[in-house]
Amino acid sequence: MRLAETFRYELGYRLRSGSTWLYGGLLFLLAFYVVHVDNGGSHTVTGNAPFRVAEITALFCGLFGTLVTAALFADAALRDRASRMDPLLFTTRLRPAEYLGGRFLAALLVNAVLLLATPLGLFIGSLMPYLQREGLGPNHLSTYVQPVLLFSLPNLVLVGALLFTIAVLSRHAIAAYLGAIAIFAGYLVAAGLWGGISSPMLSVLADPLGINALKAMTKYWTAVERNVRTIGFPAMLLVNRVLWLAIAGGVLGLLLRTFRFTERFGLGRVDDESNEVPRGLGVSRSSSEGGDAPKVAGVFGRRTRILQTLAVMREALTDIASGWPFRVAFVAAIALVPLLGWDVGAHYIDTVTWPVTHLVASVVIADGAVFIPWVIIALFAGELVWKDRDSGVAEIADAVPVRTATVLLGRFLALVGIIVIFQCALMLGGMLLQALRGYYHFEPLLYVKILFGFKLADFVLLGALAMTIHVLVNQKYVGHLFMIMVIVLTQGALYHHLLIYNSSPAWTYSEMNGFGPFVAPFIAFRLYWAAWALLLGVVAFLSWPRGPELGIRKRLVAARARFTAPVMRLAGAAGVLVVVFGGFIFYNTNILNEYLSWDRIGAPQAEYERRYGRYRDLPQPVMTAADLRIELYPEQTAVDMSGTYRLVNRTGATIRTVHVETPRERGGYAVRSMSFDRASRPRLTDAAYGYRIFELAQPLAPGEALQFRFDVSFRPRGFAERWQQTKVVRNGSYFDRMLLPFIGYQPFEITDAKERERYGLPPKKAMAAPGDADARRYQNVVRDLERIPVETIVGTSLDQTAIVPGVLRRSWTENGRRYFHYGTREPETFATAVFSARYAVTEGKWNHVALQVFHHPPHRANVDRMIGAMTSALDYYTTVFGPYPYRELCVVEVPPYSINGRAFPSALALAEQNFITRNEKGQVDLTFFGTAHETAHQWWGGQVRPAYAKGRSFVSESLANYSAMMVTENVLGPAAARRVYDYQMERYLTNRAQLGRDVPLLQVDDAPYVSYGKGAVALYTLREQIGADAVNLALRRFLEKYCRGGPPYPTSLDLYAELRAVTPPPLYPLLTDLFETITLWDFKTKSATYRRLPDGRYEVTLDVRAQKLRADEVGRETPTPMDDVVEVGVFAAGSDAPIYLARHRMKSGKQTLKILVSQQPSRAGVDPEGKLIERVREDNMVKVTE
Amino acid sequence: MSFELRIDQLSKTYPNGTHALKGISLVIPPGMFGLLGRNGAGKSTLMRTIATLQEPDSGTITFGDPSAGSGQVIDVIRDKERLRETLGYLPQSFGFHPRVSAERLLSHFAVMKGVVDAGARHDVVEAQLRRTNLWDVRHKRVGTFSGGMRQRLGVAIALLGNPRLIIVDEPTAGLDPEERVRFLNLLGEIGQSSAVILSTHIVEDVEELCSSLAVIDRGEILLTATPAQAIAQVRGSIWRRSISREELPALEREHAVISTKLKAGQTIAHVYAQHWPGAGFEPVEPDLKDVYFAVMGGHAGVRAAA
Repeated sequence: MRLAETFRYELGYRLRSGSTWLYGGLLFLLAFYVVHVDNGGSHTVTGNAPFRVAEITALFCGLFGTLVTAALFADAALRDRASRMDPLLFTTRLRPAEYLGGRFLAALLVNAVLLLATPLGLFIGSLMPYLQREGLGPNHLSTYVQPVLLFSLPNLVLVGALLFTIAVLSRHAIAAYLGAIAIFAGYLVAAGLWGGISSPMLSVLADPLGINALKAMTKYWTAVERNVRTIGFPAMLLVNRVLWLAIAGGVLGLLLRTFRFTERFGLGRVDDESNEVPRGLGVSRSSSEGGDAPKVAGVFGRRTRILQTLAVMREALTDIASGWPFRVAFVAAIALVPLLGWDVGAHYIDTVTWPVTHLVASVVIADGAVFIPWVIIALFAGELVWKDRDSGVAEIADAVPVRTATVLLGRFLALVGIIVIFQCALMLGGMLLQALRGYYHFEPLLYVKILFGFKLADFVLLGALAMTIHVLVNQKYVGHLFMIMVIVLTQGALYHHLLIYNSSPAWTYSEMNGFGPFVAPFIAFRLYWAAWALLLGVVAFLSWPRGPELGIRKRLVAARARFTAPVMRLAGAAGVLVVVFGGFIFYNTNILNEYLSWDRIGAPQAEYERRYGRYRDLPQPVMTAADLRIELYPEQTAVDMSGTYRLVNRTGATIRTVHVETPRERGGYAVRSMSFDRASRPRLTDAAYGYRIFELAQPLAPGEALQFRFDVSFRPRGFAERWQQTKVVRNGSYFDRMLLPFIGYQPFEITDAKERERYGLPPKKAMAAPGDADARRYQNVVRDLERIPVETIVGTSLDQTAIVPGVLRRSWTENGRRYFHYGTREPETFATAVFSARYAVTEGKWNHVALQVFHHPPHRANVDRMIGAMTSALDYYTTVFGPYPYRELCVVEVPPYSINGRAFPSALALAEQNFITRNEKGQVDLTFFGTAHETAHQWWGGQVRPAYAKGRSFVSESLANYSAMMVTENVLGPAAARRVYDYQMERYLTNRAQLGRDVPLLQVDDAPYVSYGKGAVALYTLREQIGADAVNLALRRFLEKYCRGGPPYPTSLDLYAELRAVTPPPLYPLLTDLFETITLWDFKTKSATYRRLPDGRYEVTLDVRAQKLRADEVGRETPTPMDDVVEVGVFAAGSDAPIYLARHRMKSGKQTLKILVSQQPSRAGVDPEGKLIERVREDNMVKVTE
Repeated sequence: MSFELRIDQLSKTYPNGTHALKGISLVIPPGMFGLLGRNGAGKSTLMRTIATLQEPDSGTITFGDPSAGSGQVIDVIRDKERLRETLGYLPQSFGFHPRVSAERLLSHFAVMKGVVDAGARHDVVEAQLRRTNLWDVRHKRVGTFSGGMRQRLGVAIALLGNPRLIIVDEPTAGLDPEERVRFLNLLGEIGQSSAVILSTHIVEDVEELCSSLAVIDRGEILLTATPAQAIAQVRGSIWRRSISREELPALEREHAVISTKLKAGQTIAHVYAQHWPGAGFEPVEPDLKDVYFAVMGGHAGVRAAA
């Protein structure tokens, strides 16, 4: 009865609370909003697909749901104590179990109802008529109900039990909030460590919220599956739910055992007398303790105000810092950084980088752990605003003659202090991470610049917003939720940075160039937002609650009374600052540079095509030689470029007009002059879109030559709204020929069909198919590329080295600048690049080839390994494929702004991250593999240039990756190569599922997971079948045929033909599977038994199901009859080496295999080494039973 | 009806070292019992311990009628739930969930106190509301109540279920004179049929109501007696003199001044002395206040020199 009454009472209280409905409304709106955001993106997976609904319900709204749960359960747990009704309750017949049970169950019921707001929001969102219908599929009840039953409700029980227990036992509401954050953070950490759990069963069971289990289950689902397949109630997941519900029960049981009504009094309560000092008697006795207090009048002036402000700050700061939630959070912040950042920099294969300070500070702390300061700010801003009211001294404090402004400013300064303290904690955490990983070059100054420079400004502004919100919103918990939502929603918002509070262009730190071009916009935007923060401060000041009346009308009246002349002046000044800084920013982003809103990014390209696309096939002269003079001014971040092109009319027609294309003259690019060596008249000059048409006085006859002279400059000014230019910087400039003029219309056009439609462009044929007649005509989107000799003179500042791929003819100093003259050894396709920085150079030699690595001086550590990689690669490739045509090969380091790696004739550009990878024993390191890959491009993509048609990445990237894997195997061993192989397979399978697209290798153009991933796997598989020598022979022949050739250029079909030529006909179907189609295999060993034979051997019987599937580009699969050779393996206990491994022919469907082995078998199965592309491998191998 | 509350050697030391209770022993009969002491004397700790909200370090508390057999006596420390069945507690500081009506709260507490039957509960709630003069505001949210109204509601709750042991801790501290009188009348009524412990530092309250009293200071009982006995102990030892403010320090040096009071510009000092202190001193018929100050001053009670 008492339990029921407590439940009913609590339920009624909760339902009558406005905040309850507010939470529900927020959850609803969030889900509603997510549907809209989804609808704007790609539509391969529909917005209301079962998978997507489950994902959003479980993950995204589950996280906000955790905050709501914290609020509800903390309130249920602590309201009695906060309102001091507990001594009345605990002296009745009420039992602890009834008390806790009633409060918990009521909160649970209310929260469960609120959780329905998420699927409801998704559902109603999907019904909105103005959404794009193709982004939405049919709505089924199960789509929305299943995730609630599977995820939301069980998770609510678990999280609710945890947070309720924390709140009750700690007696601090903020502990529950921190608990919610800990769950969130714990989840992030666990998700990172997820891959480490090998046993799939354990990894499903060990997941309290089920989100990672959901991800694991659906990892390889294609787009089609995601749209249609429901999650269902898979057995493993159900077991997981039951397990964690049981744990929740255990937590509650623990609470029941520990909680008692006694001992919750006597200490730490307002009425506690043990802290009171016995005072004198009530009736006065004059000369007792003390005597007369000196009479001091209060002094009220400016100095007082300053001192009072500081006193308020000190008091607030000490008060909060001495509370244990703060201390726990401080320690947790330090501990979280190593947990989150343990694998910082790990991306390619399983490499890691050294935890250099800028990575730790920016990637781990500033990006990864950023939610820590957000939460700290939101929570403690609330504490600071509500401090007096919470502890009951509000009525006293509000009547003290301290001005409101003083209190507000003092508390704000305390918040700043708290932020500073937490930044220190994060910094300590970062250093701890570095030390634990064995890296001791801490660079504290860099930490300070990033954490106390960039991020502190960010967080202080956020703090201003948080305090203002908490002042305006009357309920602390609602304020928290509001604040977190505002923060999350402003991330990744797509509008101009001037419009979203506290946003500014992103920045990247480069070890070569420091903060480079990102400082100016950062400061400008922060000043602008600081002006807004000042206005927020005024709002907070006007609305600061003073006195007990908190209703809106009363507050407005008070606000009006406070809006005196000084306040008006301050607000006015802030407004002026907003306009001044905003205007300055606008001038930079929209006038000096170009601003394109997110939906108009393709507009210039579209317009360019619209105006000049008709000249696509106009006969134009081609370049036969180029002389360039590049004057680079790194200190001013400017470059002047001039030069001469020698043009020849190789068409059969007379050419009357020469068209010249340049970058658009916005953002600092300017064309100073252009002329020919014969009379010409500019017929059209379109600076805005970078197109000029010159009419020749005397038309150019076929075979005639013409000289074109130009003088252009790129002198960027100011800063841009989103992306800062990084081509010309103070240290680490890198740009390519895209800054130079092109002859003739170049089809730099939008390729995506949907985008073209949006801009009103006619549909364009996507890239040519490899079999098309005109596919072999060009080898690049740019049209004018024969192999030509190029001479380049580059000037740069005295302390920098400029590099252009090619031979250094001479270098000299002139006029206080350094000059370099580079030339091509042989005619090359004109894809020049210019690098300039303060480089150190390390040299090596391989036979007759001079090896150089130009690197940032401190980045010495991996250089030797790079030279070693180049040496090994050159060794291997020249042996297996063909000669290396140059006498030099160099590596040039570039900042991490644009590319990760790129190959040029005789030169490789590698970004900084390649120089800080860390080689741990037995690991494949990115340095080695990356260098080998880029070196391979000297053959594949360099000497052999594939045609500009579909499948070109197969020729360049698949071959380069395969070659690099061969070198890796040769030098680092088969185990290392195996790791690379596994990584490429995983990459292929995961990405094709996530992106919902796939394409056969022979058609691949820009899906790196196919060209790099599947390509390497396919070639390796082929190698396994026909032998390395055969594959290498095919590649050698391919190289010889097309080496340095002009049009017609080779396509993927030509490469395929060579591969086919070395493959025995019985394996042709395998070639089709690997290269021509998207084929997946699926094996399942249902059972394996053995029996002992009289002669001591064992006969193993395997019951296998096999099938082969062909998939289309979006993942629709159809079974295909299978008749393939597949490896079957048998293993003994305790060993990874097979006791039997041989190829068997398998057909689709069920088959039984009998195998004889000489040892006792323990495991057996199909394709143990994963040589065929298969999504679910876990069921290939089984234990062998008697 | 001969139940009693028996406290034996009760001790409690807080973790921060404060000795709140030092071996307290008391016997509290039915009727009004006053516990007098200043702030920090240990009153609230004692009250909370009896009210089962705190555990002592050592000692026992029993409540019941010892002559009716041991089964009728509740070991308060070990058997808290049994005591709570017949307990009413009005703490020094308490509050309510602000957004609930008085009636709803009272009904809720009625269930908590065992009034399960809906009809009976309805009657009880109405009776208590009328008794404490809250019937007219029964639908209003408790958050809007004044201090006195909250106190009355607290009393209403404490009295639900006809408890036999009622503990009232500093109840009249925040009440205006009218409310105080009303409250004390209410307490007086109840005192007929239950044991009521009134813990306070307002001597007048004890004087007016209590049939027995104790004085507590720094965790020790300094005096246990009926009001008449207490007064008898100091009768003949209290003297009065009227002086000016400047003369007071000298007086304090020479005599045992136990209290001073301002009256119409003059300071009136009460002094403790076994014999007539001399010129200017008049004998005074002592009241409980004098007893209290004398005990606190160490002139009577446990701390008096023999």
